[in-house]
Amino acid sequence: MRQQPKSLLCSNNCMTNLSSRPARLSRRAGLRYLSPYLLLFPAFLFLGLFVFWPVAYSIYLSTMDWKLGYASREFVLLDNFVDLLTSDDFWNAAKNTGIYTVLMSSLSIGIGLILSLAIIGARRFHSFWQALFFLPVAATMAAMAVVWRFIFDSHIGVLNAFLLRIGMNSVAWLTQNTTAMGAVIVVGIWSNAGYAMVFFIAGLSNIPKTLYEAAAIDGASSPRQFFSITWPLLSPTTLFIMIIMTVRALASFDIVKVLTDGGPVGATQVLSHLLYEEAFKFFDTGYASGIAVVFFILVLALALLQMRVEKWVHYQ
Amino acid sequence: MVKPFRLLVILFLVICAVLSFFPFFLMLSTSFKPVKEVFQISTHLLPQNPNIDNYIRVFRESQIVRFLANGAIVTVGILLGQLLVVIPASYAFAKLSFPGQRVLFAVVLAALVFPRYIAAVPNFLLLSKLRLINTYAALILPFIGSPFGIFLMRQYFKQIPSEYFEAARIDGCNLLQMLSQVLIPLIRPAVGAFAIFSIVTHWNDFFWPLIVVQSSNMYTPPAGIVYFADVEAGTNWSVVMAAAVVIITPLVVTFLLARRQFISSLTHSTIKG
Repeated sequence: MRQQPKSLLCSNNCMTNLSSRPARLSRRAGLRYLSPYLLLFPAFLFLGLFVFWPVAYSIYLSTMDWKLGYASREFVLLDNFVDLLTSDDFWNAAKNTGIYTVLMSSLSIGIGLILSLAIIGARRFHSFWQALFFLPVAATMAAMAVVWRFIFDSHIGVLNAFLLRIGMNSVAWLTQNTTAMGAVIVVGIWSNAGYAMVFFIAGLSNIPKTLYEAAAIDGASSPRQFFSITWPLLSPTTLFIMIIMTVRALASFDIVKVLTDGGPVGATQVLSHLLYEEAFKFFDTGYASGIAVVFFILVLALALLQMRVEKWVHYQ
Repeated sequence: MVKPFRLLVILFLVICAVLSFFPFFLMLSTSFKPVKEVFQISTHLLPQNPNIDNYIRVFRESQIVRFLANGAIVTVGILLGQLLVVIPASYAFAKLSFPGQRVLFAVVLAALVFPRYIAAVPNFLLLSKLRLINTYAALILPFIGSPFGIFLMRQYFKQIPSEYFEAARIDGCNLLQMLSQVLIPLIRPAVGAFAIFSIVTHWNDFFWPLIVVQSSNMYTPPAGIVYFADVEAGTNWSVVMAAAVVIITPLVVTFLLARRQFISSLTHSTIKG
């Protein structure tokens, strides 16, 4: 923000330079005045076409009763939302999204925190451990979800092979509704814990070493040091990660699509996947746009929260 | 007292590492197994007679080369397009001043947080109206105007002293020369960071190709592997695993070669899921 007056001054200087050559002033000055907008134009063209217009159009469509491919389109105001809020499918998906989001993000954060503390505690091979746990984040999720499908496979899956070997019965992990959501959450944690870990490592390395030295001199035990120094100083980071993880969990689509396709009988149906099915399988455009708007409100609320937290994290 | 504790910590890390790495290990080992071995339940984790038949089959019989080529075309196309529109815009936001600057930038920031799902249906309708469904354009165009790119580049531009640009202006540089001779060399690190983010995001994207692609020869790698798995699964897991190895390799190798840049580029992009 500080730089704004300075650059304003600079462009004023340029104007005065130019005014010593009055003949070329008007053309040059005009171009100078226009050039910022010319530079912005391509970006805003694409943003407008593929981001802002779609958002506005989605909101408009959410007030329409329209199935893709049908000629008739009827203005129904809030009917789609009424349908949405009275349909079992929506509430089932909302419930599943809630369960997935809470469990996946809290467990990923917990594991990420423990991993980061362990890595720093191990003192050696920092970047080796970090790379190892970040690997699932770097690998293409859809491909790895296929691997997980193989692990959970009820006939030749590795997990069942293991269970049989230790004398237990095999389980149809992905096709019975008591275990499907659990499997999806496990894969979610597997792919996100490393992401949380990276933020925690950054947060931990920002805590001044002198605090621990002072605490050690005062005779504080390790757990005491954790709860009196690490945890409070890490809490802005933790809050920040919580929001990021929540957004990631809400937007998560690949795992459910590949592992269970929302099944069995809706047991793993989440909002993003419900939207995909309504819009592109059943072509119920109005209804799907209603889900999109609900989604939009959720993520927007989280984004506003994040902006608040971001300020707090940076200016603490 | 310290020693056993540290041993415990390392033991914990090793256990977690085994769990975290297990899918990769399984994928690799299965990909070298002859098809018969996969069906013998509860046998060995490592292949008894390792061979590369599965890889030969993947390259011979599947469209994997096509998927990889599609992935390369789409990610490079998106990145080039993004750089072309993002660099001028972020330069304007960082180094020029003009009426409406703050409002326009706030608009970009707003776009940063829009979830992709809300734009999906209208973008699909627009692209089908333009008769672009099932083309590269449909996979590329929606991502060209990258709010995150503008945000990142603007921040970077702000750190570059204005003197560089003033000196160039005094020397009589026009806008184009300014961009190509002064700006681009200065912002190479930011371009690198953004490139990693953009390539990883779009190489891995599964949702959008699923929507705008209608024939398997247009699939990018993630949609391709899932399609291939659906066709082959239950009959040929070892071939599917070989295909998965091939598809994750480009990014995993890049990650292992440039770990630090990779991690920092992916963690700076917080909100976009």
